[in-house]
Amino acid sequence: MKFSEETLMAYADNELDSQTRSAVEAAMATDPEIARRIAQHKALRGRLKATFDEVLDEPPPQRLVDAARGVPAVRREGNVIPLRRKQPRRGAWPQWATMAASLVVGVIIGQVILRMPTAGAPVASRNGQVLANGTLAQALSDQLASTQASDAPVKIGVSFKSKTGDYCRTFTLQESTTLAGLACRDHNDWRVQVLAQNPKSESNSANGSGTYRQAGSEMPRSVLQAVEDTISGDPLDAHAEALARGKHWGP
Amino acid sequence: MTAPDVIRCTDVRGMHASLDQLREQIVDLLPRLRRFARTLARDPHDADDLVQIAVERALARSEQLRPESKLSSWMFGILRNAWIDETRTRGRRNRIFAPEELGENVGDASSESHVEALSVQDAMTRLPDEQRVAVGLVLVEGLSYKEAAEIMGVPIGTLTSRLARGREALQSMLADTTGAMQ
Repeated sequence: MKFSEETLMAYADNELDSQTRSAVEAAMATDPEIARRIAQHKALRGRLKATFDEVLDEPPPQRLVDAARGVPAVRREGNVIPLRRKQPRRGAWPQWATMAASLVVGVIIGQVILRMPTAGAPVASRNGQVLANGTLAQALSDQLASTQASDAPVKIGVSFKSKTGDYCRTFTLQESTTLAGLACRDHNDWRVQVLAQNPKSESNSANGSGTYRQAGSEMPRSVLQAVEDTISGDPLDAHAEALARGKHWGP
Repeated sequence: MTAPDVIRCTDVRGMHASLDQLREQIVDLLPRLRRFARTLARDPHDADDLVQIAVERALARSEQLRPESKLSSWMFGILRNAWIDETRTRGRRNRIFAPEELGENVGDASSESHVEALSVQDAMTRLPDEQRVAVGLVLVEGLSYKEAAEIMGVPIGTLTSRLARGREALQSMLADTTGAMQ
């Protein structure tokens, strides 16, 4: 008699009705292959359980007991999740906790432009549009996030397609302060959607190692928000990014 | 000892008489909640964060616990939903916020090139979310298929196929380190 793998798993999980169960047992007695597969399913189950059962012997941390008993939050404040980790770890689970710690301030585009000399500025205003200029425009068109030099004056972050089907890219650039922004392709130009300044970045560039360097991102919140509002689907991977550049970021 | 005034004013939504009992039942459940959370989140602190979120959500919605439902199943469901919410947010955030990691890895979910000597925990993290939930509920927590399917809000057939796929994936990932299984 032939049994599906799911039936054999169900046997190992004690989920079969008595009739099927007897049939499987009869087959086990004559077919060592069936017996072996069932043993395998049971062994995996046992191994998983043994691994995770260890936590049962630990006393639960006080913060969980407090949460269950309703000890007022003010007394638990030191344990509140976003504050618990002093050092956000790269790729750590609550990304939003990392974000909350990143203390970024958005700067309105107009203010940035006003404070900058026109010649060589990374952005220029044309016909009421704010467009990338100079090295920024060049980097947006030519640079790939996957191959860029770590000391490039402009660093490209993520590239993606917007909801309107245009390519958009985030960038950071080292000027007197570090600016970060999001630009989207508009015909042959890069329209700058957001440009903002990250005050923490000054300490980063000063001491190199960057005490406050955040997991994977020095993007101010306003830029991240703009990305979330603009993006359609997932960011481009390295291959798609190179393809898009090959098409000069055209549709 | 546990600031009864606060309890009364934050939990006026019902079940006053049994709220303190409920809290103690949840305390008793903490070891199991932590065990289930660890099948979902690899990092033990993250797992405990998840338990904390689930406990707080459960207490805020204690009126939704119907008398006939099992507290453990209800809590596992809340914990599972909290985890699914978090992974969705995290997945999106990671993709957007970790630009320098994008390079080669984006869209490459099958980075199973190094299969040797995986720990059980690491193998679990490579399972798709819902397979991990199924494995956690049935194989680790020992729930019946029916209970697990109810917690996940899916038909039993969906549960068993997730469980089967999760098992097969774990089996092949862990095969090298368990001669006995071959």
